[in-house]
Amino acid sequence: MASSGRLKQTLVRDAIRENVDVIEGRLPKGLRRSDRIRRAIFRASVFVIVPLALFLSINALTTGKGERTDVVFVSTPAAVPAPAAAVLHAPKGLEPSLFRLSVRSVVLDPGHGGTDPGATGAGGVREKDVTLDVATRVRALLEEGHLAVSMTRDGDTTLSLKDRVLLANAKRPDVFVSIHVNSLPAVRDKRVVETYVLGTTTDARVQALAGDENRESGYTLADYRRLLEGVLQDARSGESKRLAASVQGGLVTGLKRAVPRLEDHGVKEAPFVVLIATEMPGILAEVSTVSNDDEARRLKDSAYRQTIARALADGILAYAESRNHPPSKRS
Amino acid sequence: MTSKKDVLHVGIDLGTSRSAIAASNGTKHVVESYVGWPLDMVARKIVKKTILFGAEALEARSMLDLHRPLERGLIKQGSAKDEEAVHELLKHLIALAGRQEGQRVEAVVGVPAEALRVSRQHLRGAVKGIADALLIVSEPFAVAYGMDALLHTMVIDIGAGTTDFCVMNGRYPTEEDQRTLTHAGDSIDDQLMKLVKTKAPEGRFSIHMIREWKEKFSFVGDPKQPVVARFPVKGKPADVDITAEMKKACESIVGPIAETMLDLLSKVEPEYQEKVQRNIVLAGGGSQIPGLAAALEKVLLDVGGGRVKAVEDPVFAGANGGLAIAIDAPEGEWEPLGA
Repeated sequence: MASSGRLKQTLVRDAIRENVDVIEGRLPKGLRRSDRIRRAIFRASVFVIVPLALFLSINALTTGKGERTDVVFVSTPAAVPAPAAAVLHAPKGLEPSLFRLSVRSVVLDPGHGGTDPGATGAGGVREKDVTLDVATRVRALLEEGHLAVSMTRDGDTTLSLKDRVLLANAKRPDVFVSIHVNSLPAVRDKRVVETYVLGTTTDARVQALAGDENRESGYTLADYRRLLEGVLQDARSGESKRLAASVQGGLVTGLKRAVPRLEDHGVKEAPFVVLIATEMPGILAEVSTVSNDDEARRLKDSAYRQTIARALADGILAYAESRNHPPSKRS
Repeated sequence: MTSKKDVLHVGIDLGTSRSAIAASNGTKHVVESYVGWPLDMVARKIVKKTILFGAEALEARSMLDLHRPLERGLIKQGSAKDEEAVHELLKHLIALAGRQEGQRVEAVVGVPAEALRVSRQHLRGAVKGIADALLIVSEPFAVAYGMDALLHTMVIDIGAGTTDFCVMNGRYPTEEDQRTLTHAGDSIDDQLMKLVKTKAPEGRFSIHMIREWKEKFSFVGDPKQPVVARFPVKGKPADVDITAEMKKACESIVGPIAETMLDLLSKVEPEYQEKVQRNIVLAGGGSQIPGLAAALEKVLLDVGGGRVKAVEDPVFAGANGGLAIAIDAPEGEWEPLGA
């Protein structure tokens, strides 16, 4: 079996080479193969692409373009133009801190409201009430940290996803944070926090969650998957992940003391329509689990809601500080 | 230059549900992928340890900050504790393998293909420092290597978090040779949980009980015997027939796996497609579900038939493959893989 021996030697060498590529920060060969056209263009046009991508990033953070909100509501995703930045990303992406882009304004989106109560838990606690109350508290804390804050709703009003997207894009904030409360009826003993960024998923639970949250949008999940292929590499994606990691870290650190059994489910990807159509880095935070009876009871307690708000605000402020925002006083 | 005898070579299968190690000194161990830290001083006094692993951690879970760090085949991003848990788990496995004082450890770690695809650097950072040199490969590749199935073979590795597909066609697998699904052991658990809850709304059972039932009684196709689970209903122990629920939950992964298998087969060069169809290997814990291989063979009838067989040792197939790679890697080539 000499030929088998030779083949094994070749495969082991390839495996080692791929690992060395990773250690040295090169894209592995397998990816280079599927990426070679884009990379060739990048190498050939580096002096055109980088300045142009930089211009587009700054433009997205400072001007916004209202007309792209139509993306959410047409029923033929194929007709949706992918954002220009999608075809212009460099292999290593742009590092916004290099350009001193700071975070000064935030739009908070309290999930559900009005005729849509969201999830409900023991004692009749409703997601729409919790998200509004927590968002209002977060707004106060962020304003103390010298950020400009707007909310998609500040009362018990019914808002479609379209309304939320239009409101957020019109405000042109630096970041968008949608606040929700999880419901996991299959595992009532769990108390979970997790934070989502835009992406595809094959996780059945996350698909169901996204399906629930997106049910008024007119899209199917299959439409999302096709649509997302065009926008996943948007310049927003890296910043959204940084924001999500910071917020998830803030939530876990801030809530673990109050809830020792809290499960940290980390940062995940899902095709939430509010994250597809908003034009700034955005996340969706599931800040609590209303299906857990103890948690539902605690959600009625104003002090506990303040703890959640503090944890969420800390995560947002930590991210803002990392983006050159003057350090604020945080507990 | 280090001689081979001064080195402990290890192959590790880092799995969502279980992690296994096979070492060149002949030792083999498997640990449930759970890591737990005592919640407080009282818990530490009771468990008498600063960190617990596997079944022991699961047993004492009420007193622990318990982590199952690879969710859906990925180290959960944004969670420093989960990264630490992966690190500690690997350290624990290497300690179990019996590293001698001063002995150099060269490790090959097989991970779900998705973990490699999504975040190679992130993964490498999380396993830094657990060995003197470290090579990370995709789990199905490790399985194929260990079985010497390097040509015209498809490996379907059904783990807890992910099902990884890999076509071996005589080269190191690239993106286009691999696929990952999150329809796997955990999704069967979720489905079974939901179905049993619907059947017995007043019953009380945990996800751990669901997992135990699945591991004992899973099947695809016709049941060999009724599946009866015992759990409290309205406070009293009751025997509940969950045969139909078990069948439905287990069969929920057949469709996605069959679809992906056929899709990958259609991408194989036409002159080799038939060979690959006759050489499909099921690995991972899910490979042991009775009737699954037969169900996939039935699907292959539509494309001219084929053969699907399960690996003999699903627990150690990946770790054995990793060990084979570690032993075959020339000593000089480990140099740049310092961890």
